[in-house]
Amino acid sequence: MSVKKQVSDNGENIEISIDGRFDFSLHQHFRDSYANCKEKGQVFTINLATASYMDSSALGMILLLKDHAESHSGKVVIVKPSESVNKILEIAQFHRLLTIER
Amino acid sequence: MKNKQTLLLWLGGAVAIVMLFDLLFMQVNYFSIICAILLVTTFVFLIKEDNNSNAIQLANEITGNNSLNEQGIEQTLTSIASLLNQQMSIIDTEVDRASGLIRDAVTGISGSFKYLKNLSEDQQQMLNTVISHQQGISDDQSMTIESFVHDSSATLEDFVKVIISTSKQSLEAMSFTNEMSKQLEGIFSLLGQVEGLASQTNLLALNAAIEAARAGDAGRGFAVVANEVRALSVNSTELNNDIREEISKAQVIIKQLQHSVETMASADMTSTLEAKNRVSEMVEHVGEVNVKTNTVVEELTLLSPKINETVEIGIRSLQFEDLTHQTLASLKNNTQTINSLYQALNQFDIKQGGSGEQLKMLQKQCQQFIQKAEYENEHRSVSQSSMEEGEVELF
Repeated sequence: MSVKKQVSDNGENIEISIDGRFDFSLHQHFRDSYANCKEKGQVFTINLATASYMDSSALGMILLLKDHAESHSGKVVIVKPSESVNKILEIAQFHRLLTIER
Repeated sequence: MKNKQTLLLWLGGAVAIVMLFDLLFMQVNYFSIICAILLVTTFVFLIKEDNNSNAIQLANEITGNNSLNEQGIEQTLTSIASLLNQQMSIIDTEVDRASGLIRDAVTGISGSFKYLKNLSEDQQQMLNTVISHQQGISDDQSMTIESFVHDSSATLEDFVKVIISTSKQSLEAMSFTNEMSKQLEGIFSLLGQVEGLASQTNLLALNAAIEAARAGDAGRGFAVVANEVRALSVNSTELNNDIREEISKAQVIIKQLQHSVETMASADMTSTLEAKNRVSEMVEHVGEVNVKTNTVVEELTLLSPKINETVEIGIRSLQFEDLTHQTLASLKNNTQTINSLYQALNQFDIKQGGSGEQLKMLQKQCQQFIQKAEYENEHRSVSQSSMEEGEVELF
C-alpha cells in the first residue's frame, strides 16, 4: 500500500507506481504526487504491475489525474495491470478513455 | 324276334355241318348242291332281316333319346340362367356396396385432407408470427430477450459510469474539505495571535492600574479606565476560547464529512464485475439460442410448402373415386348384358323337334350380345388409367 513517484531526467515523464491495494486510503498521496507537476506536455505513467486490487475511488483518482494532465496538454498511460485489475479497467471502459499497455 | 333268329342260325349251322360231312365222306350229288344253295340263301336272308330289325331298333332308341336330350338342354339352360341371375344380383349388390364404401371413404379422406390443409396453413401463419417476433419487426414496442439483454448490458455500463463519476466528484469534494480543514487550522493560528494581543492588553492594563495607584487621587480616574481595559482583555480571551471551541466542532463535522465522502468514493467493483460477466454470458447464450431458433424456424418454413404439396397430391389422387365410380358404372353395363342373356335363356322354350332352330336362334342372340359388349368396351367412359394425369382443385 504505497505510492512511489519517479520523474525522468528531462522532467517530462512522471511514473507513479502503486503497490498493493489501490483504494481511497492512497488518495492524498496519489494527489500529492502530481499536484505540483504543472509543466506543459507531461506524460503521467501509472504503473500497476504490483497493484493487487482496485476500487472505484482508484478509477476516480485516475480520472482526476487525467483531467489534471489534459488541462496541461499532457496525457496519462496505464502500464502492466494484472489480470484482475485489467478486468476492472475493462468494465469501466478505460481503454476507450486512455492508453493501457499490458 | 331274337329267338327266331337264333333258331334259324342253329338250324343253318346244323345243315351246313351235315353238308360238309356229305362232301367229305360221300360223293357229290345234285341233291346236296341244291340243299346247300337253299341253305345259304336262307342264311343270307336271315342275316339281312336281322340287320334290318337292328336298324329299326336303333332308330327307335334314337327317337327316344332325342326327347330326353331336348329336356336336358332345357334344364341345363335353365340352371345356367338361374346361375347367371344369382351371380348378377351378387355382382350388382357388391358393386353398389363398393360404390358406397368408396363414397364414404372419399368423403372422410377429403375432409381430413381439408382439415390437414387448414392446419398446415395455420402452422405457416404461426411460424410467420414466430419469425417476425424473432426479428422484432412485428411491433416496435415488443421486447425481445435479445434487446432486453442488450439493454441490461447498457444499463450496467451506465451504472459503472455513474459509480466512477461519483468517485471522481467525491475525491474532488475530498480535496475541497482538506483545503477547508487547512483554512480552519489557519484561523486557529490567527486566534493564537489574537489571544497573545489579549494577554498583552491584560498586562498593560495591570501596569496602568499599578501606575494609577501610585499617582494617588489624581490617578483614581485612570485606575477605573485601566480596570475596564483589563476586563475587556479578559472578555476578548473568553470570546477567543468560544471561537476556538466552535471551530473545533466544525473540524469534527469536517472529519465526519470526509468519512462520508470516502465511503461514497470507495465502491467495490467486484460484484459489478461478476454482474458484467453474467450479462456477457447471457448475451452469448441468447445469441446461440437465436441462431438455433432461426435455423429451426427456417427449416419449418421450408417444411410447410412440402406438406401443402403432399396434401394436394393426396387430393388429386382422390379423383380415383370418380374413376372408380365410372368403372363400376360400366361394370353395370356388363351385368345388363348378362341380364339380357338371362332373359334370352329364360325365353328359350324347346318345342317338339325344333331344338336345332332354337339353338341357332340362341347362338345368333349370343353373337349380338358379344358384338354389343365389344362395342361398349371400345367406348368405355373411363379411359384414364393413371392418377397422375389431370389436375383437381380442392373442393
